[in-house]
Amino acid sequence: MPSSSVRAYPPLRQRLYSVWFRHMRVYTRHLVSNGLPPFLEPLIFLGGIGLGLGHYIGEMEGMPYIEFLATGLLVTAAMWTSAFECTYGTFIRLEFEKVYDGMLAAPITANNLIVGEILWAGTKGLFFSFAVLCVLTVFRIVHWPNALAAPLLGFATGVMFGALSLLVTSFVRTINHFNFYMTGLLSPMFFFSGVVFPVDQLPAVVRPFAEAVPLTHSTRLVRALCVGRWDAILWWDGAYILLFVLIVGYAAVRRLKKRLIQ
Amino acid sequence: MDIGMAEPVITVRRISKTFGTLRAVDRVDFDVPAAACFGFLGPNGAGKTTMMKMLYGMCRPDADDEGTMDVFGCDPRREELAIKHLAGVVPQENNLDDELNVVGNLMVFARFYNLPRAVARERIAELLAFLELADKAKAKIKELSGGMKRRLVVARAMLNAPRLLILDEPTTGLDPQVRHVIWDKLRQLKRRGTTILLTTHYMDEAFQICDGLLIMDRGRAVLGGRPRDLLAEHIEPYVLEVFDGQEATGIDACFGEALRVEASPEITRVYGHDLEQLRRVAAALHSDHYYVREANLEDLFLRTTGRSLNAVQ
Repeated sequence: MPSSSVRAYPPLRQRLYSVWFRHMRVYTRHLVSNGLPPFLEPLIFLGGIGLGLGHYIGEMEGMPYIEFLATGLLVTAAMWTSAFECTYGTFIRLEFEKVYDGMLAAPITANNLIVGEILWAGTKGLFFSFAVLCVLTVFRIVHWPNALAAPLLGFATGVMFGALSLLVTSFVRTINHFNFYMTGLLSPMFFFSGVVFPVDQLPAVVRPFAEAVPLTHSTRLVRALCVGRWDAILWWDGAYILLFVLIVGYAAVRRLKKRLIQ
Repeated sequence: MDIGMAEPVITVRRISKTFGTLRAVDRVDFDVPAAACFGFLGPNGAGKTTMMKMLYGMCRPDADDEGTMDVFGCDPRREELAIKHLAGVVPQENNLDDELNVVGNLMVFARFYNLPRAVARERIAELLAFLELADKAKAKIKELSGGMKRRLVVARAMLNAPRLLILDEPTTGLDPQVRHVIWDKLRQLKRRGTTILLTTHYMDEAFQICDGLLIMDRGRAVLGGRPRDLLAEHIEPYVLEVFDGQEATGIDACFGEALRVEASPEITRVYGHDLEQLRRVAAALHSDHYYVREANLEDLFLRTTGRSLNAVQ
């Protein structure tokens, strides 16, 4: 066997890729059970709206309600998958399966591992967003080529919620604590971030809350993208996403690293 | 603690690690020569795992510490990647990916070392043959026995042809056949020039494969050296075990300083330098519930670390 030379360890890009590759291989092992639900979920949603609720609600922000809601689903799908991956998924890998103990024995640092997790969360966001896009395209709810870029916002949403969820995970001691995050933060975000109805409709006191949370910004961007309606506020949304990822991502790396390296 | 032989490839001086108020590792020193097998022995909570984790950056030594570590010319505090690249680690828990099969697990790990696919496939075939797992290449992890899983984790640690192999309790919970197979593999690796570090609770394991030992207790290095030298220097060569506590009373008084008596509720052990003398003591007992044997590492270990249980045992 050839001997390995000291300091010839793989470069950063390769180290991040190997973390991502591990998750991808494990995820794609069960292609049907992991790959099908992302397509079914938007179908169920659209069925519920198209067959039922849609008859009672006419237009919203100048578009049919089904289109309003469906465009929001492009990013909420990314939010949910990424949040589950980086809370329950990460916690199980960390505490129950001890997967990280094995991975960290390989030539990667704890920082590489955590950033790799966030990138993987982004990838899942991209994939789930893509699944929603496929369903919306089949039902002619969104139109190409504009909507083709939506999975990129799915990626950005996945990265934001990956970072946020890892930060939450760094505080959690038992897996049940995630209930607070899911029902206490993510569920309200789903309803009050402009996905189900426009944030302008919110009472003035609640409005700042809506502007402070990440989902509002992805939703506004993805809807603008899909309908091709541009507005100056979108610059703020883009800047918010960038800053959020940098700040929350940094905090997540700092805190979670302490759980990995004693 | 020096075990003689080649130039050391690992040098540790006055390294400490504190968790809260617990001093897990307390000013430990040791040297490991190239191509030697070095074992950490000690009860649970002695600091063995923590000490090994510090060597590859999974655990940071106390910051205010004056201690130094050198692993193949690298400082684990600054060059963990270089160390991890030249070392293979077998953690205490197997942590294989149940979702992937045997080869799948190894292929995922080959990515971490940036091995090209073709090279990885070849290396994996070699390693599976070496660890007698070739017919399990496509098996699911759940189908493997405990011994097979352990050997697979050893194979995983060897993917990058490590110069240093670190094993945390490699054979705990395995049957004797598997333990002997693993020991044979480790001996072969050592002959090929691999330096091996391991922790173990098994004295026979330490005696069988280790060239150097460090007995740890409550974070401190209590004794170190070659297994044979430790026995020769720190414990009488023979022991008489009397399985009936009543029978043994009075032995102490009869033979005075020539013998050392360790009494526990069920067994009395009489240690001595003269085999014949111990046999005469045994013959004088009114029962045949006794056994005379050579003293071993376990006797030394218990003498060094005590027979009572500590807080984490």
